[in-house]
Amino acid sequence: MAECAPYLRENRSTRAVMGEVCAALLPALAGAVWFFGLRALWLTLVSAAACVLSEWLFQLLARRPVTAADGSALVTGLLLAMSLPASAPYWAAAAAGVFAIVVVKQLFGGIGSNFANPALMGRLFVMTVWPAEILQSPLPRTLPADALSSATVLAAARAGEESGYTLRQMLIGEIPGALGETGKLLLLAGFGYLCLRGIVNFGAAAVYIGSTAALCAVFGPEGLFTGDFLQNLLGGGLILGGCFMLTDYPFASRRGRLLCALAAGTATAWFRCFSAYPEGVCFGILTANCLAGLIGLLERRHVYGKGRTFKFFRRNPS
Amino acid sequence: MRFFQRRLFPGGIHPADGRDKALTAGKAIRLFRPAQVWISMEPVPGARCEPCVQEGEKVRRGQKIGEPRDFAAAALHASLSGTVAGLRAGKGVCYCAIRSGEEQPPLIQKSALGCMDPGSFDRAEILAALREGGIVGMGGAGFPAAVKYGTEAEIDTVLLNGAECEPFLTCDERLMIEQPAAVINGALLLKKAASARRVVLCLEDNKPEAVRALHEALRAAPQMEPEEISLRILPARYPQGGERQLIQAVTGREVPSGGLPADVGVLVSNAATARAVAAVLLDGEPLTSRIVTVTGGVREPCNFLAPIGSSLQELIAAAGGPVSRENWVSLGGPMTGRCIARNYSGESELGFVTKTTSGIVLLPPARRRESPCIRCGACATACPAGLVPWKIDFADREGDAALCGRLDADACIACGCCSYVCPAGRELTRHTVSARERVRALLRERRDA
Repeated sequence: MAECAPYLRENRSTRAVMGEVCAALLPALAGAVWFFGLRALWLTLVSAAACVLSEWLFQLLARRPVTAADGSALVTGLLLAMSLPASAPYWAAAAAGVFAIVVVKQLFGGIGSNFANPALMGRLFVMTVWPAEILQSPLPRTLPADALSSATVLAAARAGEESGYTLRQMLIGEIPGALGETGKLLLLAGFGYLCLRGIVNFGAAAVYIGSTAALCAVFGPEGLFTGDFLQNLLGGGLILGGCFMLTDYPFASRRGRLLCALAAGTATAWFRCFSAYPEGVCFGILTANCLAGLIGLLERRHVYGKGRTFKFFRRNPS
Repeated sequence: MRFFQRRLFPGGIHPADGRDKALTAGKAIRLFRPAQVWISMEPVPGARCEPCVQEGEKVRRGQKIGEPRDFAAAALHASLSGTVAGLRAGKGVCYCAIRSGEEQPPLIQKSALGCMDPGSFDRAEILAALREGGIVGMGGAGFPAAVKYGTEAEIDTVLLNGAECEPFLTCDERLMIEQPAAVINGALLLKKAASARRVVLCLEDNKPEAVRALHEALRAAPQMEPEEISLRILPARYPQGGERQLIQAVTGREVPSGGLPADVGVLVSNAATARAVAAVLLDGEPLTSRIVTVTGGVREPCNFLAPIGSSLQELIAAAGGPVSRENWVSLGGPMTGRCIARNYSGESELGFVTKTTSGIVLLPPARRRESPCIRCGACATACPAGLVPWKIDFADREGDAALCGRLDADACIACGCCSYVCPAGRELTRHTVSARERVRALLRERRDA
């Protein structure tokens, strides 16, 4: 077959994109190791190894082309570890990794075909099966053990109490929580790098994070407008979820991406305010993932020379 | 900063860093004098000409050697003075070979000396000259200018396309630097041919020297009204020089799907076409040569003024020959060109210059392995036509023509942006173009039924 134009290609591959995402997560990982000790590092390695090995083994057994080296399983493993507390058992991290890769990713067709974010599905899996182990989070080791309650900032905010953590502590990550819920500034540094490289979408993350925090502030624990905007913004996994996990479903337009982010933000705020869990990022983003197909119907595309094409409930004649 | 740049058309990419054009942009156009030329009697598929000379006949440069037989064909002229060495068929196309026997008379170019008043010509006269001179669109399509400008539609604007957004190519840029007056003369004649109100010379901001040259030539011109002829500098982005994108960027109008630029009152012509128009009307010289960029992996990349029918192999040799043995040869720019040879090291004949050969680019092999789509959506962001190439790619691989139609694949302009940005290395352009053909076949079927 004749070679096909264009003969110039952007110097960017799937593996390079995944590598850059991993690099962007490293500062936050370093912060987690600083606050929670080396156990955070081992937990991350276990989770990453579980993801990559299970992908490799599954593809080998299923006789599919082996793509375990393209880095996407590594990203899933890192994000999964970021969403677990440092005290989570190693076997729970491994189980979550295998579930994320085999059930959520590979059984749905592998990279690009998963219906929801595999890392979040892995976390949801272990959280529902072993809640006692996953919902507890240790205090950062830089704080005296009896100084403050180990309740998370969000749990306190929900109960309408003062959590006792300062803004500075929330920003640098000196609060109890999952590995990636802590170092907000480090997460944002990595996110900024990805934005500059054009790998992630700034608008969607901003809409998601802003809408969640704002809605949580409106629907506070003691009636309207009694919530705490800053604690909701910085107290939990909102920054991690918005910057790295809000899977950018490839909507054809900005409008679609922003609508999806808004749906995720609304769902997250709903879970934070009205469900049994103080933390709603995981549920919120997964809800938006499931709604992505429906949101796609609301999308508008402008095709050159055809005027505005509405896709809204266009019938499939086939 | 390009991040915050205002966009005059959606999508698009910045495929190169400027070093590609710098290979040839600073060098003067060289004359290429071949000993023999082979002129194709079907330069564009479906545009055949009938040879009107005999073997062994003596011809002068500019003498007509081919009469157009098809609607989309234009007259062909001898590009050398010499003897018709043979009419031979190659690859199903008839070539007319002319061996240069005598001293080539020097070209007299009044048209390049300064801007002139085109008032002495009327529309019918210009159209007849375009027809007799064998003028075609030299930007790529090769459609006869006489047919295009003979349109019944009311035209208010003629756009002179000097955007040259393709990486590596600088033939139009060098032309505008060296012969700005010829380009302006041609532009005014084309405006007259279309009975248009104004003509706009459109350039990208990465050609400051060409902009300066055109500015100076315009300033030196006698009593030119600024609303009649103006210069428009556009922020560089590929595919700005695509006809439809240029119309959108400059006038804000959109050519309706399946329609022509004339439907929105615009005609677009290339800078090289304008020069040819000026030459045929002011110098009486039909279209017998063009500027060809020979660049990429050659020792001395340069622009050549080459007679139509020059051998591509000889042109590459004149540019110093290939640097390495592993080359892909792209006829035209690397984004939309046709790959005419792989692993080319300079030994074999590749073909001959036609009126639409803008360049020959030798590129390192770019073979990639396709990996699964990761749904990053980069292709949809880059598409200037507003399509979603990854979905069309799947639909085409499934062979689902109806789905391709619902995804509007017929609006594809084959610019190559989607393949360029795809991190998974998927051949999105190939499949989107194939989907476009499926949809067009479907539409034809429906119309005929």
